[in-house]
Amino acid sequence: MIINTANLNLYYHKFQALKNVNMSIKRNLITGMIGPSGCGKSTLLRIFNRMNDLIEGVRITGSVLIDNDDIYAPVYDLILLRKRVGMVFQRPNAFPLSIFDNIAYGPRVWSISDKKTLTEIVERSLAAVDLFDDLKDDLRRPALSLSAEKQQRLCIARLLAVEPEILLMDEPCSALDPIATGKIEELMLDLKKKYTIIIVTHNMQQAARIADEVGFMLLGELVEFDTAKTVFTNPKDKRTFDYISGRFG
Amino acid sequence: MDRHFDEELQNVKRKLVEMAALVEESITKSLDGLKKKSAEMASEIREIDHKIDELEIAIEDMCIELIARHQPVGSDLRFLIGAIKMNNDLERMGDHSVNIADCIEYVIEGPHVAQITNIWSMAKIVKEMLRESVESFIHNDAARAQKVCERDSVVDEMRNETIRILLTYMLKEPEKIGSAIQYLLVAKNLERIADLSTNICEDVIYIAQARVIKHHAEEKKA
Repeated sequence: MIINTANLNLYYHKFQALKNVNMSIKRNLITGMIGPSGCGKSTLLRIFNRMNDLIEGVRITGSVLIDNDDIYAPVYDLILLRKRVGMVFQRPNAFPLSIFDNIAYGPRVWSISDKKTLTEIVERSLAAVDLFDDLKDDLRRPALSLSAEKQQRLCIARLLAVEPEILLMDEPCSALDPIATGKIEELMLDLKKKYTIIIVTHNMQQAARIADEVGFMLLGELVEFDTAKTVFTNPKDKRTFDYISGRFG
Repeated sequence: MDRHFDEELQNVKRKLVEMAALVEESITKSLDGLKKKSAEMASEIREIDHKIDELEIAIEDMCIELIARHQPVGSDLRFLIGAIKMNNDLERMGDHSVNIADCIEYVIEGPHVAQITNIWSMAKIVKEMLRESVESFIHNDAARAQKVCERDSVVDEMRNETIRILLTYMLKEPEKIGSAIQYLLVAKNLERIADLSTNICEDVIYIAQARVIKHHAEEKKA
């Protein structure tokens, strides 16, 4: 196990967005979170890198352990957490900088300034997302001039540059066409050999295709959490079956 | 673009080829046991059949999971549907091989009735049909599969010939009816194995070309 939650609740003021969530996420697997809009899946994802801390009125009870460390403990180093747990968003959010500087951004935050080391990191990170061959002669080009799919790959490369362990992906393909989506999915399947990936997706088929384990959420509750095989061939809860078979949602 | 899904389809194919090899081994051994009247062979064949049954469950499970998770279309869908049917056909062939092995103990003490029938030449053709059906599946070769289908009537005719020979034999020598009936059963099981090889080839043609040739469907359409 890499992540464990126990009796996890999250409130936005009086509204309870997560209800007693207990789950264990395994290392080097892709865990897919599915459920209708507003079910709490993105809120749960943002628990793992404490992005919810930025929202006013949020209150959390219960525990979230990563490698047995309580990430909500007052002594926990938040900067280190954001390094260990990277996040990819719905729309690619490349910085208005060059391709090189986008990827070197994180390492520079971590005080790496040696040009040779930075170049190695940039090249290695681009290679990991299968962009290096395309862009190796163009590293000074503005990142925003790339296609949406390549920008999303670049954002993933930017995460990899700081050597995280966990990648959180919040609808990473929602702004991409089906071909680009297929390429990002193949990339995720390659990346799971080295990283633990948690993906939130509206696209149930995407979770079915790439996730090893799947959690179905409804109204803040984790209704079912099992292998993708079980969830999509023999869901235990009728609500899960109704959702994945298109009966509601 | 290389797809991880393609690797999973290849895994299904590899498992089916592994299962087909076991079925072929089982049939070869059951016929060998019959020829040599070796009762020990029967238990070996049951062990092989146990492995075949386990593979059948595993392959079916893989196919169901791939259909549920990947919602395949086009040739991928045809491949998985064909794989499920082929899996079932191979398992049935394993059962027919066990049926042949079950005959061994009843013919041990009896005369070599098989020598007066064409069971051995029938067995040779049936084994060739199985091997060719599997090869056509491996190479996705519809033309090769079509040739196997055309041999099915040859086996049917040989089975009929065997029945005629054995009936005559039983009428002449009623005290040997017990053994003769066992060889009738062997012929029947061999003929079923040929039918199942033909089924596999029909599936290969469906997978490769999306054509349904079973039950003369194309002729009826025309």
